[in-house]
Amino acid sequence: MSAEAQVKQIEMVRRQLSRESAEALNKIEKDFPDNPKSMDYFYDLYRRVHCEGEAPHGDKKVIGTTCVQVPEELIYAVGAVPVRLCNGSHTFDQLGAEFMPAKSCSLVKATLGMLSSEVASWLDQGGDIVNVTTCDQKTKAGRLMEEAGYRVHHLELPPSKESEAARTYWQSNVNGFARSLESVTGHKITRNGLRDAIVRVGRAQQAYRRLHRLRMSPLAPILGKDVFLVTNAYFFDDIDSWTDAVEVLNDEIERRCEEGFGAAQRRAPRILFTGSPPIFPNLKLPTLIEQSGAVIVADETCSANRMLYDVVNVDEWQLYDMVDALADRALKPCTCPIFVSDEDRKRRLLELARTFAVDGVVYQAFSGCQVFEMEQRSISRFLADEGIPSLYVETDYSPDDLGQLSTRIEAFIESLKARRRRK
Amino acid sequence: MPYFAGIDIGSTAIKVVLVDEADNLFASKTVATGSHFYGNAQAAFLSLLKESGLESGDIGFLTATGYGRKLYREADESVSEITANAMGAKKVGEAYGGIRTIINIGGQDSKAIQIDREGNVVNFAMNDKCAAGTGRFLDMAARNLELELDELGDYHFNLKGAPPVINSTCAVFAESEVIGLLASGYSKEEIVAGIHFSIAKRTVRLVKRIGLEDQIYFDGGPALNKGLVAAFEEELMRKLVIPDIPQITTAYGAAILAREAWQAEELAAEQH
Repeated sequence: MSAEAQVKQIEMVRRQLSRESAEALNKIEKDFPDNPKSMDYFYDLYRRVHCEGEAPHGDKKVIGTTCVQVPEELIYAVGAVPVRLCNGSHTFDQLGAEFMPAKSCSLVKATLGMLSSEVASWLDQGGDIVNVTTCDQKTKAGRLMEEAGYRVHHLELPPSKESEAARTYWQSNVNGFARSLESVTGHKITRNGLRDAIVRVGRAQQAYRRLHRLRMSPLAPILGKDVFLVTNAYFFDDIDSWTDAVEVLNDEIERRCEEGFGAAQRRAPRILFTGSPPIFPNLKLPTLIEQSGAVIVADETCSANRMLYDVVNVDEWQLYDMVDALADRALKPCTCPIFVSDEDRKRRLLELARTFAVDGVVYQAFSGCQVFEMEQRSISRFLADEGIPSLYVETDYSPDDLGQLSTRIEAFIESLKARRRRK
Repeated sequence: MPYFAGIDIGSTAIKVVLVDEADNLFASKTVATGSHFYGNAQAAFLSLLKESGLESGDIGFLTATGYGRKLYREADESVSEITANAMGAKKVGEAYGGIRTIINIGGQDSKAIQIDREGNVVNFAMNDKCAAGTGRFLDMAARNLELELDELGDYHFNLKGAPPVINSTCAVFAESEVIGLLASGYSKEEIVAGIHFSIAKRTVRLVKRIGLEDQIYFDGGPALNKGLVAAFEEELMRKLVIPDIPQITTAYGAAILAREAWQAEELAAEQH
């Protein structure tokens, strides 16, 4: 392709991306009444970054991450900023489809599509990416990122997390990663620097946990589509601004709870969302659920709860202990389906379903995400045995199954309502 | 005495059903959907009223369902076709001793629904976003074989020997596969039977995902095809319950739900 044609193509992709994002944002913002005022911070953020192409973090050194299992505190400690590259754009998905196998999942295709397009110029070519070897697709994607000109740190993850061997293996990999990070920025990780980073991320997690708890209220004070937008902004926003904005939102939500203000109808079925992560602009399924008269009150996904809920547990504030504690936090509580066992995920789902008084679970799997697809049977059966109805939806980033999905979602919600009436 | 209407706007056909206060089927009509969902649905509804000697004012409540349910603005309410299908099948199934599992093959999707005694949906599964194993696929195949849809049944039963295995039930790939089979010398009878078995196999997998109860009800337009029914019965190794007019079960269910909604509103009004 000539240089001129390439410039044209980049421009076209940029425009498509901007249109796609604007449409999704409009739907999330304008199709629902009574959005919390403090959500404006987030609507505006998405408008600037996704629709207008503003580079997050200006000229700070950005390190791309592709997984919740990257201990981001280490990145802060070397004076860089982590940005999660996992992507929800159909435009990027289609770009990735040009060179990825047809049966790979939308998320991986979209992430690679973005990295190959030069549209995400804020992460310069030759820039650094930390890629965790989770599923096969993500593992091999790391190699493709190298081919696209990035410097990739392959962070090796064990396939199970119960044994001491797995733990030691992972801890040693995280320690190795910490050392290689130091050479990226030329900044040494110090005891104070890392402690500050842990405190900083901890503050963000506390803000998230407060929001999470507020949603236990019997009258849902905020819609799930907004919470997904909030947690998703954590991928790329300045962490301190994000934390402050979430606390402002929390104050407003708390007032709503005190005043008895509901964001959904009083008897709207309460949904727990699990499976493949909703990432902007692909909030297709959450939006559809809430447009059909239900409300998402909790989730078990790596773009929200799984990313922010579990905090680091440091015994001694020494460097070696802090790094090991960070490794443990990434590994031990993680409920990703790439691990052999699904026991933790079941426990977590049941706990969320009970504490949030949910009526049903919606399980999203991106077509091609084998691990979520394979775990579905046993999870659904487990939930059924516990008396919790669930709906399994296989979908991707393209909008062409909206009609079919809406039939399924509505039927599920109707059945939850009927079930409640019978009780 | 008011009547209640259910309109099922499907991808291929629009079905309208009127019931009385005791949920008895009063009148029904099926027309092709065409490209004007709304206009054709409205015309079908009005002409059914006229044929039955009723006026719009005689209809107490109208519930829309099916793919085009949200476009039908005159409806008092819309409900998903799964809920409506369940209610209709439960009502029709009473005459057969009650049914608990429904297989529905529509114009562009296939569904398996498990219901409880009251007609509530307990569990369901639906094909993913493609027309594999649906009415649309039968349509394409018939066209390739230069057959009318209602001839498929006879061809199925004229089969001598074993049908070929048809792998792709994809409506698009079917064309090349059918042509390939014709080219390798298979007769139309064999290919028709092969198609029926491939749809049945695929759908039975869907049904097994939600679990199989006895008394299985089979509805939707393709249930008119006796060859397809036979293939299903062979795959499931049991008899199916086929309603007299399999296309209208869902519209019938919507009409019953309209009656229920109307009564609930009347009751609420009285209490006020």
